Amino acid sequence: MTATISHARLRVLFAFFAVASLLLSARLAYWQTVGRADLLSRATDQVHSDLIVAAQRGVIRDRNGAILATTVELRSLYAIPGLMTDRDGTDLKPRIASTLAPILGEKAEVLRAAFESGAEWLFVRRRLPEDIAARIAALHLAGLGFEMEPKRLYPNGAVGAQVLGFVNDDGVGQYGVEGRYAAELSGTPGRLVVARDPANRELALGLRTAVPATNGDDLWLTIDLAVQNAVERELAAVVEREKASGGAIVVLDPKDGAVLAIASSPTYDPARVGSADAEALRNRAISWTYEPGSTMKAITVAAALDKGVITPATSYQDVGYAVIGGRKLCNAQCKVYGPTTVTQILARSQNAGAVFVASKLGAADLNAYLKSFGFGQRTGVDLSAETGGIVRPLAEWYPVDLGTISFGQGLSITPLQLASAYAAIANGGTLYQPYVVASRRDADGEHRTAPVAVRRVISEETSATLVTMLTTTVDNGIANAAALKGYSVAGKTGTAQIPSDEGRYVDDAYISSFAGFVPAIDPRMVVVVVLEKPQSKLLGTVPVMNTFKAIATDALRYARVQPDRP
Amino acid sequence: MTFAQAVRAPQARRVQHRPHRQAVPHRRAASRQAATRVRGASWEIRSYFLVSGVIVSCFLLVLLYLAQATAVSAAGYEAQRLAAQRDELRRQNALLVIESARLDSPARVETEAQRLGLVRAATIGVVVPEAVAATR
Repeated sequence: MTATISHARLRVLFAFFAVASLLLSARLAYWQTVGRADLLSRATDQVHSDLIVAAQRGVIRDRNGAILATTVELRSLYAIPGLMTDRDGTDLKPRIASTLAPILGEKAEVLRAAFESGAEWLFVRRRLPEDIAARIAALHLAGLGFEMEPKRLYPNGAVGAQVLGFVNDDGVGQYGVEGRYAAELSGTPGRLVVARDPANRELALGLRTAVPATNGDDLWLTIDLAVQNAVERELAAVVEREKASGGAIVVLDPKDGAVLAIASSPTYDPARVGSADAEALRNRAISWTYEPGSTMKAITVAAALDKGVITPATSYQDVGYAVIGGRKLCNAQCKVYGPTTVTQILARSQNAGAVFVASKLGAADLNAYLKSFGFGQRTGVDLSAETGGIVRPLAEWYPVDLGTISFGQGLSITPLQLASAYAAIANGGTLYQPYVVASRRDADGEHRTAPVAVRRVISEETSATLVTMLTTTVDNGIANAAALKGYSVAGKTGTAQIPSDEGRYVDDAYISSFAGFVPAIDPRMVVVVVLEKPQSKLLGTVPVMNTFKAIATDALRYARVQPDRP
Repeated sequence: MTFAQAVRAPQARRVQHRPHRQAVPHRRAASRQAATRVRGASWEIRSYFLVSGVIVSCFLLVLLYLAQATAVSAAGYEAQRLAAQRDELRRQNALLVIESARLDSPARVETEAQRLGLVRAATIGVVVPEAVAATR
């Protein structure tokens, strides 16, 4: 009887284990076949990390290799408020807040409120200066940690800001070279898939799939930091001295259109873009247009000389005004000069004389030469946000426009366009496309920018004749304040009225400018200085000429250009 | 074999080893049996050593693998530590390069020069090569 019961129990037990084994086997078979992928995925997720490897943004340098913009990893301070307790569970948030406050220059209450906001994780301060980060790290405060974040740094501060642009918080380039060459500078991010241990360390024996990041290209600009610094210093000084609302300066190498310096006022500090207003972000050298005034007389005379309708000795009887299209266009202060040659027209900046020259030339040719010099269209400079200005089509010209446009009213241009046109006059008649990036360097080596000769706009003879006339304008004419000791200077002043939104010219406000190149023979640089609404009306264009002089003196001295005059 | 048989065993072995006419074929059989026993014992010993050897070899192989894996893993951690150290040194170097660029900045140099009371030279004398050559 006992044996019978025992066998029965054994059978039950056997059956139980058999069923259990079957169930277990079935389950195991399921996980090994159907559920295998899911299990593998879960296991992989636990140990594998899939990271985007950020590409290093390219460095921007000036023509001599000085760093203008570069990217470094800076430490960002984060907090995990839940960990801000000691072993006894005492809340350390108030103490940590009061410790951090003086280091970060923040109120302790603000930090404490942030810690007690209920957030599980928060940034306390991003991209800290290295010394501050080191001070905080040395404190070993509970619940605080650091995370590396890239930061674009501009070691020269605001110098060159308008050329460089800036990088926003998302790492995207804005304005200037940073905006125009955003794709080349940013590079291509890589990917890293690795197995990690519980301490988040990479396992040498684990899976490792790496697609390396391709760093951004380095850019070498045509900008010369020393010249750029002089230009910005002088622009800031003249804007402040003359209480002008703004201004711009462009310095070009006339031989190939390389931009040596561009400055615009108001400007901004790339490190504090957030506090800059919209007007400060606008590069007035390329994104702002104005009616140029008398600096355009050189273009009118160049066109007429090139067309062969005048010579420097061609003369007319100046009566203080000219009548064209039924309108009377006066000289400045309606001054009467009597018999006047074309050379004197430039030297005295006579409006009536410019009308005389334009009448000889004709509207169609003046319009064609304006377009040939590049007015009314973008120069193609490799900076973002360039505007083209306005030169109305010939069909829209009124008869009086031939007269007004001859002395620079009735069209709008950018300072860079004027510099480019004067560079063509200076270099023998070839219009070059201005450019800022001299070369791009990537893993394959250096890729240099070839200067682009857009077209010949005037003959070499015309160029030489005009250079002589413009040199006379500086030596013996209205632009005498721009004369430099030891160097020949060719240039022309400009004082232009400002049109209002109603289509009339604003009273008591004007734009003062000077465009010139130095030395006049074999010129090294073209400088255009534009000042918007200077307050000292009596001085006229003297402040801009003084600014030209200061820049030219510094730049020539720096470039060790030998004087061409005793 | 009982205890009594075991006690009498020497005598019994003597009786069994006494020469016997019909014992010759038996001796040969016994010899074959002994040889078989020796061969059996030898096989057992060999098997024992073989299995032991396999086990020890496997153990050594596993030990070698583990030692290598541990060494590689440790080397990996060391490589990571060195890579982190390299990255930090590169970062510090980049910060120093930026600081150097900031100190070299013409704007800063000008400001510092002004602070030191230096003034811009009004004129700079230029020696014209042609004039020098003419005097010689």
